[in-house]
Amino acid sequence: MGDSTFSGGWIFAFLIIAVIFGWGNGGVGGNANAAAYATMADVNAAINNQSTQQALAAIQLSSANNNYETSRLISDQNMTMMNQSNTNLLTAVNGFNAISANIANGFNSVNQNIADLGYKMENCCCSIKTMLLENRLQDTQIALQNAQNVAVNAQQSQYLLSQLGTFVPTAGV
Amino acid sequence: MNPLMMFGNNNMMMQAFGAMMRGESPKDFLKNLANTNPQLQGLNLDDLEGTAKALCDKNNVNMDELADKIKDFAKSNRQI
Repeated sequence: MGDSTFSGGWIFAFLIIAVIFGWGNGGVGGNANAAAYATMADVNAAINNQSTQQALAAIQLSSANNNYETSRLISDQNMTMMNQSNTNLLTAVNGFNAISANIANGFNSVNQNIADLGYKMENCCCSIKTMLLENRLQDTQIALQNAQNVAVNAQQSQYLLSQLGTFVPTAGV
Repeated sequence: MNPLMMFGNNNMMMQAFGAMMRGESPKDFLKNLANTNPQLQGLNLDDLEGTAKALCDKNNVNMDELADKIKDFAKSNRQI
């Protein structure tokens, strides 16, 4: 067993490793109890299992990243919706403000028209009164003229009667 | 399977060859290896020769023939 190439008991270390890790069925002298020790198949299976675990870890990381990205997108979407809602509310408020302003302006216009109407009605009434007074004055003037005509006619009649020589101051009709 | 190819594909053997070339102690190497390999735990690593013989006997492995294979592999791969 001693060999110059394997000093310090390394050959025994290799034997242990070979039997446990690298020497399975079909090896030198057979291996009746191979199932109790790790074979190359076991090692390969362990390596494959490690690869599977690494893949699983990668999938979990990817899933976590996806979840984070999804949450971020939902948060962004919520923020967008909130901003849109705020914009809609602001637009609605501005709309109500505009309507209120229009209503107020409408009332102002109506009030102005009412005031104008009152002024016009008053003006119209004044004109009617003036016209009535003018009509009365004209009627009075006509009546005066008629009275003057009667008086002139009476004087003329009295003159004519006096020219006849007989004056009957209380002549009967 | 060709046992030489088996050794060539065995990472443990390659690590052991590397440790030997660096002049490390085989006991320390196996004890460190046992920290991450439960198959080595429970073995008496202070008596490597006795442990190797016991393992070969238990697994019906011809210890001398296996040792020759390991030496041939080492020489053919210029590991020593």
